[in-house]
Amino acid sequence: MSDGHSCPVLSMRVLAGVGKSCLLLQFTDKRFQPVHDLTIGVEFGARMITIDNKQIKLQIWDTAGQEAFRSITRSYYRGAAGALLVYDITRRETFNHLTQWLEDARQHSNSNMVIMLIGNKSDLDSRREVKREEGEAFAREHGLVFMETSAKTAANVEEAFINTAREIYEKIQEGVFDVHNEANGIKIGPQHSPGGAGLTSNQGAAGGQGGGCC
Amino acid sequence: MAAGPSSPCPASTGCWWEPMAWTHSFRCWRRTAVTTRLSTMPLRRWYTSPPQKPSRRKWKRMGNPQRPVIHPWLGNSFTEIFTKRQENIELLINLLDEFDFKVRYPTVKLLTNLLKNRPKDLQETILVVPSGVSKLMDLLSDSREVVRNDALLLLTQLTKNNTNLQKIVAFENGYDHIFAIIKSEGFADGGVVVEDCLILMLNLLRNNPSNQTFFKEGTYIQRLTSFFILPMDNKEGWSAQKVTNIHYMLQLVRSLVAPQNPAQAVTSCQRVMNQCGLLQTLTGLLMASGVPVDILTDTINTVSDMIRGNMPNQEFFASMMAPSTPPRPAIVVLLMSMVNDKQPFVLRCAVLYCFQCFLYRNQTGQAQIIQTLLPQTADVVPGAKPFPNSITAGQLLCSGLFSSDPVSNWFAAVALSHSLVDNLSQKENMLRVQLATSVGSQPVSLMQQCTSILQAGPKVLTRLGILMLLSTWLAHSPMAVQTFLAIPAAVPHLTTHVSANEHDELEIVCQGLCAFLLGLCIQFNDGSGTSFSTESLRQLVTDRIGAENFTDKLSNILRTEAYTKAVKSPQLAVKHPSDLVFDHEFCRLFKSLEVTCLRAVMPQLAGGSTTEVTPVEVTKYKDIIRDQDAEITKLRDRLAGIEKEVEELKAGKEQMSAQVQQLHDENTVLRVQQGISRETEVTKEESEQHSTTTTTADTIPASTTSTDTAPATTDHTTEQQQTEQVTLLQQQLAEMTHARDYYYYEMYKKDTELTATQQQLQQLQQQQQQQQSSEIQQQQQQQQQQGNQTCGQQQTSTAGQQINNHLDNQNAADFFDSLSNPEMENLRKQLEDLQLVLYNKDSEIQQLKEIAAQAPPHSEQNGTVERVAEVSGEHPDEAAHDRLQQECATLKQQVKDYEIHVKQLQTQLETAAAAAAAATAASVAVGTGSGTTAETRCKQLEEELDTIKREQEDLLVLVTDQDSKMSEYRRKLRTYGEDVTEDEDEEDEDGDFAITENYDDDLDDIQ
Repeated sequence: MSDGHSCPVLSMRVLAGVGKSCLLLQFTDKRFQPVHDLTIGVEFGARMITIDNKQIKLQIWDTAGQEAFRSITRSYYRGAAGALLVYDITRRETFNHLTQWLEDARQHSNSNMVIMLIGNKSDLDSRREVKREEGEAFAREHGLVFMETSAKTAANVEEAFINTAREIYEKIQEGVFDVHNEANGIKIGPQHSPGGAGLTSNQGAAGGQGGGCC
Repeated sequence: MAAGPSSPCPASTGCWWEPMAWTHSFRCWRRTAVTTRLSTMPLRRWYTSPPQKPSRRKWKRMGNPQRPVIHPWLGNSFTEIFTKRQENIELLINLLDEFDFKVRYPTVKLLTNLLKNRPKDLQETILVVPSGVSKLMDLLSDSREVVRNDALLLLTQLTKNNTNLQKIVAFENGYDHIFAIIKSEGFADGGVVVEDCLILMLNLLRNNPSNQTFFKEGTYIQRLTSFFILPMDNKEGWSAQKVTNIHYMLQLVRSLVAPQNPAQAVTSCQRVMNQCGLLQTLTGLLMASGVPVDILTDTINTVSDMIRGNMPNQEFFASMMAPSTPPRPAIVVLLMSMVNDKQPFVLRCAVLYCFQCFLYRNQTGQAQIIQTLLPQTADVVPGAKPFPNSITAGQLLCSGLFSSDPVSNWFAAVALSHSLVDNLSQKENMLRVQLATSVGSQPVSLMQQCTSILQAGPKVLTRLGILMLLSTWLAHSPMAVQTFLAIPAAVPHLTTHVSANEHDELEIVCQGLCAFLLGLCIQFNDGSGTSFSTESLRQLVTDRIGAENFTDKLSNILRTEAYTKAVKSPQLAVKHPSDLVFDHEFCRLFKSLEVTCLRAVMPQLAGGSTTEVTPVEVTKYKDIIRDQDAEITKLRDRLAGIEKEVEELKAGKEQMSAQVQQLHDENTVLRVQQGISRETEVTKEESEQHSTTTTTADTIPASTTSTDTAPATTDHTTEQQQTEQVTLLQQQLAEMTHARDYYYYEMYKKDTELTATQQQLQQLQQQQQQQQSSEIQQQQQQQQQQGNQTCGQQQTSTAGQQINNHLDNQNAADFFDSLSNPEMENLRKQLEDLQLVLYNKDSEIQQLKEIAAQAPPHSEQNGTVERVAEVSGEHPDEAAHDRLQQECATLKQQVKDYEIHVKQLQTQLETAAAAAAAATAASVAVGTGSGTTAETRCKQLEEELDTIKREQEDLLVLVTDQDSKMSEYRRKLRTYGEDVTEDEDEEDEDGDFAITENYDDDLDDIQ
């Protein structure tokens, strides 16, 4: 276990938010589903990625955006190492909700949680209601990483998740996250995982806002 | 075994509240409980027991055998009262923060009880309580086992039937905690705590795809493998707890690959199970000796689900060999159990399910099984007993089919039918299967043998099995249908059975199956055989059975409870052989073909939903669709054409409306212009008059004419041309007027010059102090007079021109309205008078000219005596000057008189013009001759213009004459020694026929 970093199988948990199930589906299954049921509570997704030649399993918990599920989704902030805060660039109200969700996330999560701001549906530029600059400004103001994505065209989807994972990974390397404390959302992988001892990083990210994705 | 449930634990000596004593006592009790349960197989389900039966084990855990019996509804209503306030629950959950055993443990117990009584309310409340689940999860890490164990029970209650809580528990590393506990307890040997762990894990996974995915992605499946690595050298057999634990472990595996789960998730789990060796471990367990039957049954069922519909797993299963001597394929070993009536029924059912899963969506497997039935490989030689080691699946199935055990018959028939499901080529292959029934006799085909069995009238279960096999065989296979129809007595047997009147439940099902088989014979009969045609069969059914009766018998199947049960799950849900009726795959087939059969028997049955459509119908519908397509295309084309037409029409309409608008505008302009032209004529006169009085404003007053009340209905083009002409003429007129004014201005200037010259002369005279001779004075006077005369002449000619114009206008006005009233006559007379006066003036001027002509010789003569009598000629000069001035005044007076006359005339003319305009309006209103009127007017105006031009030319000639005369006079003056500036003359010479640019400025200066 002590040489976990030499043969790491990291797995991370990211709660992608709020009806951003399409984003998750694009990331895990590489497909786009134009009509998606409303997320009830929380859905789970996972994918293996490679950072610095190290296999990391991202565990993604896709939380519902509806207010009704807020008490449920709150339970997922604890034990998350990262969060994707997602809004819809074609609907301003989803952007307006960000502050509230960010507060919620900060309040219920550990202070080191990596938060990435995502403006989704960048393919619908003609119907855009929130300017790219506004998103950038919000991210700057709150110290988040910003990106615009499209679950439909898969633009930036990989990057969004992988960049989040990379930041978490860097924090682990810096020793900000204690891999032995499960509350951080990072855990050492099971002993019988390929290559012997592994490192599982469980990182949750609480999901952004916006209701009915796609 | 000896220890009864009520025997107290000998080690329990401490006080009940002492934690250590508690734990110890609990663990002892637990062990006791385990031993007592050895005989209570199969499974104890205390946690689902109704509340009114107080759980024995529960109060055993409490260590309080004297627990009073309470009415269940009482606790329930207390719970309701307690949970009504969310704060109560929050308080309880916050109490869990207290590490003290005496607080924490009872809190856990209380919460568990509350959850048992009102699970829904409690679950919803705990979901809302901030980090409620987290605190409950933390209990699993409690160092005191009793707390941890009860926390497991609490979490089991909490997660029951609540997907959201299941997910949160899983998210809170629930799997890790559970696996850790199972491991620390020693896996399957671990006792009841392991059982509790497994139940909790099952709660998290069952019917929760998200958690299943998390389980798979979290590589927990791999950890399951370690559960089944069991030491097989245990001679004492397995403990009941171990059996129970393994049972739940198998359940856990099954929950991940259950047919009810999403197909994609099942496939991925199956793949992982194969990769991580779980499948291999379990099939090993299957073949191991000493495994209790119920575990074996569970294992078979679990392996079945693990291979169902997954090609690699099915291939692995087919290749697996049993560790027997000689080694046989595992399938054969399993089938041997199935057709062995000594084996437990549940095990046989499990084997059938396994066989079914092996062949599910596995055409290769189906082919392999049928292959073993065919002569070349089956190695079945009539009279020769096959070697035991060469026994095949096919042989086993056949032996089962023809054995004396009806259950075996049923199992074998159903198993065979599974090798035919959705596989047309195997249906045809199986027709070639020949059987040797007894030594020396001809081999018979499998199908023939089946019908023979049917006719022999065996047990109902056998018949059910064979009828299902035949149905699967004949469905969609015309060749099988023909073979079946060719068998003598096959059809009569069916018709007899369908029309039978027995009321036993299974007999009714049998009749329904016979009807179904008949229906299939009709539906899939291609008519190639000679025995029965579709029509003759249909006739037979109608005659012998009756359509109504047939329908009833067929639909009876759907009404049976067994059918409903079998449709639900692919696995047989029967406990006893007597419950065997339908197979799941057959039910699917029946469902899809029932309506088709009904329609085959009664083609008149119109409408209704059907999954099968005859080719004729398809062709018919295709034709209809084609026709409709053609019609749609035609209509679309027409629509396009019409749209285009509409577009064109629209464009045309716009053009037209634009034209109309233009014409309307033109018309309005014309009307206005008609008014203006009249005005202009008047204005022209006015301006001329003003010119005479040196007021040369030449603006056309705004038209106030509003005579056009009716829109022009006559030819617009002609009118437009005329309008243009009129406009042109009017412009010309304006120009001419302007030019004329200019000429007047020139005249005026010259007049001023003359006056200036005169003044100069006077000054000269004063300077010379009256030394000039009287002749020279006279000459000067004459000259001055001449200038005045010239001026007067010019004025008069201008007036004449005006009068001419006036007359012309008068004529035009006359022409317009064709009016000849006395007033006009009067005017004319006045005009004539004026002309007369003018003429007189002209003659007078002429006289003056003559005088002027005589003057030069005088001056020449005077010139000679000039120097002689220069001083004496002062008085006569003055007298002549006075005379000339008088004459000038007279002339001016006359001109003024003319002006007044002209003004009078003008007023009269205006009245006349107004009358004319009114007349025109009237004529336009009538709508006739409007164009003609305009035309005539044009002509008039043209004539007028010509006249003016001519007059102007005349005037020019006159001006030139006067100029030359003036030059002459100047020359003469020079000869008299006067200094006369030439500038003006030069300018005059230049500006004779052109309007100088500074004309307007000069005009302003003058004014």
